[in-house]
Amino acid sequence: MINAAHNPFVIPTVVLMTVATVAIGFYGLRLARTTSDFLVASRMVSPAWNAAAIGGEYLSAASFLGIAGLILKNGVDVLWYPVGFAAGYLALLLFVAAPLRRSGAFTLPDFCEMRLGSRRLRTLATVFVVFIGWLYLVPQLQGAGLTLATVTGAPYALGALLVCVVVTANVALGGMRAITFVQAFQYWLKLTALAVPAIFLVLVWNADGRPSPVDGLTFPQATVVTIEHPATLTMTDGSVLTVKAGDELTFPAGAAVPAVAGMADGLDWLLPGRGGSLFGTYSLILATFLGTMGLPHVLVRFYTNRDGAAARRTTLVVLAMVGAFYLLPTIYGALGRIYTPQLLLTGDTDAAVLLLPSAAIGTGLGGQLLAALVAAGAFAAFLSTSSGLLTSVAGVLATDVFGRGGSVHTFRLAAVAGGVIPLLLALNVASLDVSQVVGLAFAVAASSFCPLLVLGIWWRGLTAAGAVAGIVTGGGAAVAAVLVTVLGPPLSGWPAEAVAQPAAWTVPLAFTTMVLVSLATRRHLPGTVGATMLRLHAPESLHL
Amino acid sequence: MSTDTPDNSRYVAVQATDEFAGLRKSLRNFIFPMTVAFFLWYALYVILCAYARDFMAIKVIGHVNVALIFGLLQFVTTFLIAWFYSRYANQRLDPIADRIRAELEGPEDAK
Repeated sequence: MINAAHNPFVIPTVVLMTVATVAIGFYGLRLARTTSDFLVASRMVSPAWNAAAIGGEYLSAASFLGIAGLILKNGVDVLWYPVGFAAGYLALLLFVAAPLRRSGAFTLPDFCEMRLGSRRLRTLATVFVVFIGWLYLVPQLQGAGLTLATVTGAPYALGALLVCVVVTANVALGGMRAITFVQAFQYWLKLTALAVPAIFLVLVWNADGRPSPVDGLTFPQATVVTIEHPATLTMTDGSVLTVKAGDELTFPAGAAVPAVAGMADGLDWLLPGRGGSLFGTYSLILATFLGTMGLPHVLVRFYTNRDGAAARRTTLVVLAMVGAFYLLPTIYGALGRIYTPQLLLTGDTDAAVLLLPSAAIGTGLGGQLLAALVAAGAFAAFLSTSSGLLTSVAGVLATDVFGRGGSVHTFRLAAVAGGVIPLLLALNVASLDVSQVVGLAFAVAASSFCPLLVLGIWWRGLTAAGAVAGIVTGGGAAVAAVLVTVLGPPLSGWPAEAVAQPAAWTVPLAFTTMVLVSLATRRHLPGTVGATMLRLHAPESLHL
Repeated sequence: MSTDTPDNSRYVAVQATDEFAGLRKSLRNFIFPMTVAFFLWYALYVILCAYARDFMAIKVIGHVNVALIFGLLQFVTTFLIAWFYSRYANQRLDPIADRIRAELEGPEDAK
């Protein structure tokens, strides 16, 4: 495997990027004084900053590395993921952004109490915010460990520890306003770190006579491939070779790349919908489409808009930024087939973005600098997503677990507690599949907070008992699916599919339960429902 | 959460006005059809990928096939819907909101 361990620029660049992150955090610290500053940045953040900040935390490592790897391996199939992420933002804009902002609640549990006046529901929402937050934090920290290990050969624990310490310190000391600046900085850093090498890669590809990423793949130089996962290879002469982990294969420069069973090959690479079942696809679409609005770190960002019009403008800019960003992993995935075809054999496709610059441009100064830039960008992705998650987890812990006072001191304590637990999990849990856990976090959010928000905002008939029942049944089922996936025995057949991508049945379950139980407990409608609904839907210029 | 106690009779009065009902109706008239339309368009992409593979494989320019163009168009439509909504809200919804405010605050306070 091509290793960047000899690249002297990686560590300084990552350190520089981390120091810049911390510096911006401290710059923000001078501005953050009261609890309200910490939690929602006093609603003074402009749409452009806010949108960059949302992009900064939304475009996590899974998008940065995972999608390029998936495209390398599976072809344009994977466009479903980013389209779903973008569409999820549209659903958020249309259904919840403006009313939620007008509700005046700081956090999701606040919203529950404001809309339905139930302490029990508030506690349940707290549990789900923390669970979704941690579920999303663990793979971020693990990914950071793996990235640092890939590019420098450092032990796995170091990367996870580094990200966790930087993020916790930044969140604890700066709070949300600092985090807004940090996140916005991270977005532009990520975009630069992917875009600049991509331009050079496309130039190199052009100079090489535009080799096709679709068929006739060859090794650009003599390559020794160490197999990491058992596979069945079909050589170009038609012979079939079964390899096991640890086998070494030597290919001379210009040799044709064998086809790997189960991976897209030739023209099939350009066609989505080959691998995976239709159920899994629908489930994933439902999870990304409806789960975005239920992710706590995404929601809290809408509270920082000045008014409804600013919230709408923010979403518009976010959609443009997300769309622009996802073009880049597509380029990496396609070029990865030409310049790092050995990843198809080793199965280590997530490393494509990290290894591509030195593989295509060479190990000279230019290639090394670009490789270092990409590594710093990947690290920025881990830092920014983790910061956003930790801010919302800490915010909820501070108000609902460590007492209701909500002092700055309490918030700091909550940030430390919120950061330590996922670190311990990341260091101890055996390697989880990053993109799958991210999908599960979306599924849990889509089966718990999505029905609560949509029905809570658009249906006056929702009762506290109905909301609790819906979250416990639908969200609980999704959580159970997560636990079975992570801890349980390997499954096969349809139970395996239903558990791996649960959203297609847990989301309807949550909605149905919520509606039916609400209808059954109609007599317990909160008396203030008329006033609450007006507050959610009336323009804020009314100052009611 | 806000600490001021809302005056319930005032809320109820606003709730009962035709303008408020109209505001919510205009909002729903945009949001629900648009969501259904977008979801169908997205589902069409997935279904064509699953069942109309020959059509999706038609090459347009070089290796760029119909499937790829469809996928990129999904991004474009997402953005366009968000842009339409923003315009609709600014042009149609905000004026109604301003009218409600003017009525609620009485002729002497209104600008």
